[in-house]
Amino acid sequence: MAPDREPFDAADAAVRAERMAGLRSGLRAIAPAAVATFTWGLVTGVAMAKSGLGESAAVAMSLLVYAGSAQLTSLPLIATGAPLWLIFVAGLVVNLRFVIFGAALQPYFRDQSWPRRLAYGYFTTDMGFVLFMSRYGDASVRGTTEQRWYFIGGAAVSWLAWQASSILGVLLAAAVPADWSLDFAAVLALLAITVPLASSRPMLVSILAAGLAAWLGQALPLRLGLLAAVAAGVAAGMFAERFLRSKP
Amino acid sequence: MIPDIPPAALYVGAAVLLLTLCNVLTRAGFLLFGDRIPLSDGMRRALRYAPAAALTAIIVPDLMPWPRGGWPAFDLRLVAAAAATVVCLRTRSAVAVIVSGMLALWGLRWLFG
Repeated sequence: MAPDREPFDAADAAVRAERMAGLRSGLRAIAPAAVATFTWGLVTGVAMAKSGLGESAAVAMSLLVYAGSAQLTSLPLIATGAPLWLIFVAGLVVNLRFVIFGAALQPYFRDQSWPRRLAYGYFTTDMGFVLFMSRYGDASVRGTTEQRWYFIGGAAVSWLAWQASSILGVLLAAAVPADWSLDFAAVLALLAITVPLASSRPMLVSILAAGLAAWLGQALPLRLGLLAAVAAGVAAGMFAERFLRSKP
Repeated sequence: MIPDIPPAALYVGAAVLLLTLCNVLTRAGFLLFGDRIPLSDGMRRALRYAPAAALTAIIVPDLMPWPRGGWPAFDLRLVAAAAATVVCLRTRSAVAVIVSGMLALWGLRWLFG
């Protein structure tokens, strides 16, 4: 090795050390959440296979779509032969939270090339986002190597836990008797992400309004009750926000 | 030669591709085009309510079915989900919610089924 390269090597080593430090703390932070991700993936895998998608379509869905709540949302729609545009819109709406996440994450990744930004976005998960923002949300410098590798560590573990459990679920589904009603586990998994969202009074009002509209909306064809419920939920939430603002 | 694909497989395949597009648009859209997307404060606030509303709309028909042309039906799943909701509020653990909800459903079916 030529001696004149030494300063560069030192800089390289520093970058490598920063990457490793970020990666390590990312892996440590995500580990407890990986158990939940694994269970949720297993449930989604079983639900996909039980809904009659077929094993290859279920595995393709897991690998390509990689969005648990959107997948579970689409299953009853696909099973009842809902129009494709409604499946697309429902998937968009359920995933809207990632638009908010993306807006918050953007300052940390804005100087990266577009293929990398695409990858960072694609591998964003709920837990990954929450952990990232709770650690670096108040950081004075955004977009450091350590921050990016912390994110990568969490994203890699989430992806592996999800795909392994999801595909395992698809393969195990045939062995699970129908009268165990394991499809209910998918509903419970959705419940587990919905309940913590009711963290403020406007949000609770919004969820109750959406629930009422969804209950009444079952009379509508093509599961259009879903759109009615989203409209009702957003309107009720905005209304409650304005109306309840005077009271803490 | 056009391969002979059954319409059901075509429908499922199209759904999977559309959902993939959904996912890329929502997750990576802002990171890709963030500097050019104007998102007003009001829009941001409204968007906050949509996911919970959509998730609720998927859950509710499963717990409180209302067959078309019939009357609202009662399902033990509603009671099991209520129990799981209490567990969720106490523990905030998805695993605990799934386990307790399934046990509650099996227990209720055994008692009243």
